[in-house]
Amino acid sequence: MTKHPHDADVAFIKALAELLQENELTELEVMREYAESDSLNVRVSRQQPAMAMPAMAPQQAVSIPAPAAAPAAAPAEAAPAASDDPAQHPGAVTSPMVGTVYLQPEPGASSFVSVGATVTEGQTLLIIEAMKTMNQIPAPRAGTVKRILVEDGSPVEFGAPLMIIE
Amino acid sequence: MSTEPWPTGYDLIHLETVDSTSSEAARRAPTLAGPTWIVADAQTAARGRRGRPWATPAGNFNATLVMRPQAGADQVALRSFVASLALYDAFVAASGRPEAFALKWPNDVLLNGGKVAGILLESVGAGGVPDHLAIGIGVNLMHAPRPDQVEPHALTPVSLMDETGASVTPGEFIALLAPAFAAYERQLTTFGFAPIREAWLARAARLGEVITARTGTDETTGTFETVDATGQLVLSTPKGPRRIAAADVFF
Repeated sequence: MTKHPHDADVAFIKALAELLQENELTELEVMREYAESDSLNVRVSRQQPAMAMPAMAPQQAVSIPAPAAAPAAAPAEAAPAASDDPAQHPGAVTSPMVGTVYLQPEPGASSFVSVGATVTEGQTLLIIEAMKTMNQIPAPRAGTVKRILVEDGSPVEFGAPLMIIE
Repeated sequence: MSTEPWPTGYDLIHLETVDSTSSEAARRAPTLAGPTWIVADAQTAARGRRGRPWATPAGNFNATLVMRPQAGADQVALRSFVASLALYDAFVAASGRPEAFALKWPNDVLLNGGKVAGILLESVGAGGVPDHLAIGIGVNLMHAPRPDQVEPHALTPVSLMDETGASVTPGEFIALLAPAFAAYERQLTTFGFAPIREAWLARAARLGEVITARTGTDETTGTFETVDATGQLVLSTPKGPRRIAAADVFF
């Protein structure tokens, strides 16, 4: 089973909290899949400040549910209203790392996949580069590429939705 | 040269000719018993980053280490630093010239400011946990391509032989590189990134100086402050600090 060190989790949660602040969001929820029965659920939320935000002490509540092996379907049920957020889409393929997206195996080549294409499980969808590591992102399941949410060469954050596959 | 024994748990496969050691690594990955170095005398289809060609004249070092790090993709990418530190140590052991070598983010080893080696990491995996990682390493032991054979603005290619006079065979080089890699890898898996980061920064070129990081769509110039706890390059710019996960760095 994968071991993700506590420190890395803390750093990740801190990064989420910063993201929350920077983008003036009220809540952010991320589910990290490490392996089949190893995941981390994080929800970071904060109250909108009534007056100008103090620079030093942001009000934020960080709640970390126990890393239970909850079935992946649970978060979708929890959302009462239909969300336009592609990250919430059950068919979303999300980024496992911060990096740069490449939609082609090399410049000038054709894309790995295009919208409407049928993909098989394990087929490479795109590459995310971080620190000269080319991480091939495979299709988590067979299906059709409904949306491509990133541009070639663009930066992506951890957990960012990349494609919708249904 | 080396008194370090071959690292326990690592296999070595030597091939005379192969299309590319990294392609061979991908083929062998499903049946690997443990981390395995694949060393080839010649490659017929060697490749660099993003499809750039990589010349492999006789006498140079071509190898791929294929392994299954049990970690998330963000942790796996930290092997860039592990590999470049190991390469740096192998060069210093081979040449006895620590002052001639320096590191450029994230994984270039510079020899007298020139490009003496290339490292390309490729990982494949679903759900954020790579199935395997292939670390391709090419070293100009004897020969370097001519400057007109590489991309404009690329670092000047150099060879270990031309710059230091050290005559090292690929067999001697893997005997230096493999134990160095295993030691840094053990450090990473035991203590995390902190000691790797510290060792890397101690050998970094241009720390505190103005450098440029170029991605496909963007370019950032700033003072090279540090490498953060996740391995990202930190440049201080007039608009504040910028953290960069993927880029080509230019001096």
